[in-house]
Amino acid sequence: MILKANISEAFTSLANARQRTILAIIGIVIGIGSVIGMVSIGSIAENEALKQFKDMGVDVVMVRLTKGSPSANVTLRDITALKEEEHSILDVAPYLRSSGSYSIGKKSIYLEQMGVTASFFGMNKIRLAEGRFISDLDENRYFCVVGMETAAFLRGIGLNPLLGSQIPLGNRIFTIVGVLDNVSDGGMRPYGLNSSVVMPITTAGRFFEKSDIDSFLALVGNTVSPVQAKTDIQNYFRVKSRELKVRVTTAEELIANMKKQMQIFSLLLGAIGSISLIVGGIGVMNVMLISVTERRMEIGLRRALGAQQGDIQSQFIMEALVLCLVGGVIGIVLGVIVSFIFARVSHWEFLISYGSIILGFGVAAAVGVFFGYYPARSAARLDPIKALRS
Amino acid sequence: MSMLRTVNIHKTYPVGPTEVNVLKGISLEVEQGEFLSVVGASGSGKSTLMHILGLLEQPTSGEYYFEDARIRYEDDRELSILRNRKIGFVFQQYCLLQRLTALDNVGIPLIYRGMGKPEIRERSMAYLQKVEVADRAHHRPNEMSGGQQQRVAIARAMVGNPALILADEPTGALDSRTGQEIMDLFRKLNEEEGITIIVITHDPKIAAQCRRSVEIIDGLVTPPADDGKPH
Ligand SMILES: Nc1ncnc2c1ncn2[C@@H]1O[C@H](COP(=O)(O)OP(=O)(O)O)[C@@H](O)[C@H]1O
Ligand SMILES: [Mg+2]
Repeated sequence: MILKANISEAFTSLANARQRTILAIIGIVIGIGSVIGMVSIGSIAENEALKQFKDMGVDVVMVRLTKGSPSANVTLRDITALKEEEHSILDVAPYLRSSGSYSIGKKSIYLEQMGVTASFFGMNKIRLAEGRFISDLDENRYFCVVGMETAAFLRGIGLNPLLGSQIPLGNRIFTIVGVLDNVSDGGMRPYGLNSSVVMPITTAGRFFEKSDIDSFLALVGNTVSPVQAKTDIQNYFRVKSRELKVRVTTAEELIANMKKQMQIFSLLLGAIGSISLIVGGIGVMNVMLISVTERRMEIGLRRALGAQQGDIQSQFIMEALVLCLVGGVIGIVLGVIVSFIFARVSHWEFLISYGSIILGFGVAAAVGVFFGYYPARSAARLDPIKALRS
Repeated sequence: MSMLRTVNIHKTYPVGPTEVNVLKGISLEVEQGEFLSVVGASGSGKSTLMHILGLLEQPTSGEYYFEDARIRYEDDRELSILRNRKIGFVFQQYCLLQRLTALDNVGIPLIYRGMGKPEIRERSMAYLQKVEVADRAHHRPNEMSGGQQQRVAIARAMVGNPALILADEPTGALDSRTGQEIMDLFRKLNEEEGITIIVITHDPKIAAQCRRSVEIIDGLVTPPADDGKPH
């Protein structure tokens, strides 16, 4: 009952000293808000990244080839032969990439350029908006498929319908045979497919300045472990050329890596949040100390009317606690709003991390009790007479 | 029956390197149901004595018996409980909390008994009626006259149904007519409820209305308690 009275007392007293209350709360709001905001953004980003892996499946590995000397040479044939020679590999999708600005019509556009084989689309789980993908029958021909944003640009300059239209890239004219649906970045997918123009890898070999194939995706059979596939691929290329460095990354490794980065990120956020909470907490302590000094008469009076030291202490701790919890609630709401806006802007799926909200409440309460303790104790230890005579 | 009894109480305050002896051996006995005034010049130690009698302050030496039980000053909890259940205070400056209504001010002592809010309100209202300011129950102190505020303060002193009310210059801040009303209220409470009341004042006219009066002169009470009196 005394507790309940102390809680309602805390509210009236805080409402009465409005300016001071607001000042004290600001630090807590910023502290809790930034922690919640950033933890939420972190979990939204993690969710998004993991979703892309789920999209593509974890049975794809990425292979990067680095030449130790100019004589080490890998041909397209070497790579496509992988699926015939190694049982663990079901399919491969080698690709070449480049990029550049082009003027089409009267406007210029920056394009990611990719040379691919037909297997590229299936392995990356890419869907078509219209037309068709590049097929292996398109070898060496100047056909292309364009990404969603590229398509929007081309429509913007009056190319309609896109399918069958011809676009000049450098000194070549490409015919558009297909338009891709939206492709989100992440996972094993090559970056920037939405703003790309995709052509047969053989065409790219002649069209791009640099025509060495340095990376490809490989689909691993579901009876084989990715680790086994990794050694198979490395052995295969070691036989081809000793000068070749082969780096195979499995989806699991990428996920593990990403999680590690998230952990570092979270730690950093935790540190920032802790610092602002300590600053906020000191603000609360200050405000509580001022409040204790200003209310010496009240403290003396309450002691005269029968309050024990513990009653006074719990009254002031309750006040600090209420202060921090109110700040915490505002901070949580603010943090969630910030992460919602962030998710909206980056076209990511918004989700509320309930764990972080509980954490926010817990931390706010802990800050209140911790930083309220000292002022509350000094209030409780005031000599009632000195307090009354003041 | 004895309400309280002090034996040779001294109180000294350190002032810089020296000390000041305010009370120099107070022996005072108050029976239950008494209506006593303590007079004395300003600075003679009246308030100091009241704080000691009200268990707010520890004497430097001497013994204090409250309802025949010797007070032990080590246990703050016990002193708080005694103050809460047995003693009501009335101050010259009323000492009401400005942010609370009259009703909530009256209820403060009951909070520390762990009483529930509805019961506190009910009892506080009854005491506001008793001191005839029930119509101000939902007003804050700054919306009331001095006399009304002092009545609220008296209701607060009474609400816990104490055995003793200690009033330190209760009429000091009031005009003489309002002061007289407050004294009439005290007399009524003393006669009808049998509460022991000690009124501290430096006004002889106020003191004259009490059934007994003692004066503090040079740190001692005159006339002193009759030590030869059997208990
Ligand atoms: N905490 C204290 N420290 C030093 N001197 C004090 C203290 N409290 C009271 N005094 C002194 O004790 C004397 C008596 O004070 P008080 O009891 O308030 O007198 P009264 O109520 O009769 O006017 C005064 O001289 C006052 O200055
Ligand atoms: Mg005085």
